[in-house]
Amino acid sequence: MADRVGICAVAQTRYAPDRSDVSEGELAYEAIKEVLEETGLTLSDIDSAVSCSEDFWDGRTISNMNIQPFVGAHLGHEDKVAGDGLNAVYCGLAQVLSGHQEVVLVVAHMKESQAEHALIENAAFDPVFMRQLGLDFLSAAALQARRYMYKYGITAEQCAGVAVKNRGNAKKNPFAQEPLDLTVEDVLASRMLADPIRRLDSKPVSDGACAMILTREARARKLTSKPVWILGVSNCYEAHYLGDRDLADCRALTEAAGKAYRMAGIRNPLREIDVAEISEEYSYQELLWMEGLGFCDRGEGGRLLDSGKTRLGGKLPVNPSGGVLSGNPNHVAGMARVAEAVLQLRGEAGDRQVEDAKRALAHGVTGICGQHQAVMILGNV
Amino acid sequence: MPNRVAIVGIGQTRHRSTRRDVTLQEMINEAVRAALADADLRMKDIEAVFSSSMETFEGIYLPDHVGAVEIGTYMKPGFKVGTGGTSGASVVVEGFHMVSAGLYDLAMVVGFEKQDCGETTAAITAATTPIWGKGAVTGAIGEFAKQALSYMETSGAREEHAAQVRLKADRGACLNEYAHLKLGLKSAEEVLKSDYLVWPLRFLDFCPQSSGACALIFASQQRARKVRSKPVWIADVEVVHQEPFWAGTFGDPTGRETYSQHVACERLYKRNGITHPRREIDLAELYEPSNWEEMNLYEHFHFCEKNEGWKMVEEGVTEIEGDLPVNPSGGVIATNPIGATPTIRVAEAALQIRGDAGGHQVPKEVNTALASALGGPNWTVLTLLKRSV
Amino acid sequence: MTQKPSAKKSKEPEYITVNFNLPRRYRWSTGKYIGRTYQEAKEHKKLVANRCRHCREVLWPPMEVCGRCKLEAGEDWVELSQRGTVKQYTYLVYPLWDPHYGEKFANPHPNAMILLDDGVYIRHFLEETDPKKLQVGMRVEAVWKEDAERGEGTADIKYYRTIRA
Repeated sequence: MADRVGICAVAQTRYAPDRSDVSEGELAYEAIKEVLEETGLTLSDIDSAVSCSEDFWDGRTISNMNIQPFVGAHLGHEDKVAGDGLNAVYCGLAQVLSGHQEVVLVVAHMKESQAEHALIENAAFDPVFMRQLGLDFLSAAALQARRYMYKYGITAEQCAGVAVKNRGNAKKNPFAQEPLDLTVEDVLASRMLADPIRRLDSKPVSDGACAMILTREARARKLTSKPVWILGVSNCYEAHYLGDRDLADCRALTEAAGKAYRMAGIRNPLREIDVAEISEEYSYQELLWMEGLGFCDRGEGGRLLDSGKTRLGGKLPVNPSGGVLSGNPNHVAGMARVAEAVLQLRGEAGDRQVEDAKRALAHGVTGICGQHQAVMILGNV
Repeated sequence: MPNRVAIVGIGQTRHRSTRRDVTLQEMINEAVRAALADADLRMKDIEAVFSSSMETFEGIYLPDHVGAVEIGTYMKPGFKVGTGGTSGASVVVEGFHMVSAGLYDLAMVVGFEKQDCGETTAAITAATTPIWGKGAVTGAIGEFAKQALSYMETSGAREEHAAQVRLKADRGACLNEYAHLKLGLKSAEEVLKSDYLVWPLRFLDFCPQSSGACALIFASQQRARKVRSKPVWIADVEVVHQEPFWAGTFGDPTGRETYSQHVACERLYKRNGITHPRREIDLAELYEPSNWEEMNLYEHFHFCEKNEGWKMVEEGVTEIEGDLPVNPSGGVIATNPIGATPTIRVAEAALQIRGDAGGHQVPKEVNTALASALGGPNWTVLTLLKRSV
Repeated sequence: MTQKPSAKKSKEPEYITVNFNLPRRYRWSTGKYIGRTYQEAKEHKKLVANRCRHCREVLWPPMEVCGRCKLEAGEDWVELSQRGTVKQYTYLVYPLWDPHYGEKFANPHPNAMILLDDGVYIRHFLEETDPKKLQVGMRVEAVWKEDAERGEGTADIKYYRTIRA
């Protein structure tokens, strides 16, 4: 890329099970306000705003109208990406890289608590063919988990190990919604939601917002002493019908990751990435996505977790923030991963800091069993 | 220096009120295939696909996922935007950014809506915030009814002028194989006889609910001329939104000012050295949700002085054979699949530049064309197209 | 009624209809600012809004950030007048469903843009249902719902009644 795009500031609200104390706009503004204060910018300095939210979740057609005054979009440039938040960052990146916009505010906001998530997720399924099966994201994920575990011999204990690791990491994250001290036994004893996914294998309902400011290199260096560069990014769609995919694979992720790595010049992710924030809505997903990201071979996700390499302090810490499992809303989750990656690269990740992190990976999913995957590589040099 | 972006492929479906013969995905696929055929490319040549639709109209939470294979995004990058009425132009803008940024050499943008799947007015009315002004909204139609009344009262325009605009649109639509409403209207009286929908807007004054899709293929400068000898260049884009609550309504209380159009035009014209739009713009495909609003838009786009939009109609300036044809395709009033409508404006403007509009091709040479989109609480997206840069 | 024999009998496709009816419920939050308006309307039959500390415009609906100034508006709360002038109106000729609440809109209550006496526009219903009696410039005043019915923000005003001179 000719000129680099830098992230100058990031902010997240503390993710919570119920933010009925604020409207959608006020929630988004909590995060927006922080990035403005950090960079010394005002809303009038923003050239373009890209938001991420979704009509079905907000219960409002054109959901970005909920936040318009808060992004300074009056008589300004604005757009809305209706997928996972990482894609909104991608959209903002293109705006800056094209030279058409200079300072872009990107924000994702979502209040899962205000909607009936099973019905909304069910509406993602093709109405003619799949909807009447009554699936939602959880039950579809259960199908995927079962298939994945069957094909590669992944065990329930290994999946539980993800929950133990991530919920424990969350204790070090002031933004995390539900940090927990867990053992594998705790997870396996928790209530079964949709076999084989148990309550502690699953993310909780969450409300929150995440914001960041993107701009081109020269400006980024003026706005912050610690800009983080976007080195590579791509995304990819899979087929929709569950029967058209081998759910034990994630080809779309491998495709997206491959393109992002090429852009960033990465050949061996396990060696060259210092910290990874990936979107694991359910515990098995962390194992599967690690395979798709090329951290290990197919079917080796469980073993990689068992090796301890993905722990905080390991060779490639995965989700030191606690990940989506500890509480992140849909559509915000991927952007939150980017925010956490940025904090790591700025050395501002507090107790969850990965030492000397220079390259980070952020990952986001949208849809049924991660039908849409997005990967971003960031660096601080 | 941003890279230049050209449109090298254009495809649309034949828009209808209902398409019971196809699913949503199949319908979108028709437009995608048409664009590929137009560009003589195959899906595997396309590097990314960006889509636009308003999911509340079909009741499908992630329509780009449901149609992944048919839209062409299977195993390819892309995402969906959703900004309401301007969504189809927002996707043009984002596709433009992506190619201009050098991220892709060939990308497709697809706007679609299958409004027969859902309840359009309910979905539009759901655009109002549920915690404010409960019940005191009448969907989009109510807004444009107010605008019509304001325009009538302040500009001196009469119902006959609005009827003439409707006739112009229908003439264009009847010549446009893709247009939805082809009514074969013969006289102003026919328009003035149609029933009031929301006073003073009549049934025929307002746009329909259509099911359709439109796909455009964008190419980078290096790639464009390898695909076709005469690509249509996207010279510039401008997006101006407006906070939704001014005066407690969408836009200004009378609906007359719609000043996001003013601001967008002023910025676009200034950046592109356009000082006399009436002369320097050869053709416009404007997003006119009602015939009254079209006259208002002539003024906002500085094609004429304030309060003189209806004069342009009297003088026939905006007819197909006129000096500044506006909406020779029939416009939104003839065809309105919401997620695709702004994309269709860009497509139609591009076809005119290429000389490929078929029956509704304007006789004059078109070198510079303006496509506009209108949506939400008076948001505007403009696309400026040129034959050569 | 006679039926003309058709020269060519086209096969009409047979449609299978599946009805899928599941209401999706939402629990929206007014947030802090609009919440105050809801509270004042319910408890005191008053409309309140905040005045932006920068541009001095009254924000209606009240907002944390003034959309036009793009700055935090502050909490200078003002009470709005109960009376105003009709600036624009329209009336539905066809029935319309409120998709948020599943209620059918009162028809034929006209919907009007009313300029309240302190310069703030409110969009609301008019009591007068006779179109011949509707006029831009009419003076109107708020008619509030009964105590037990209130709690829905501006909808606590039933409609605006024409003030007879």
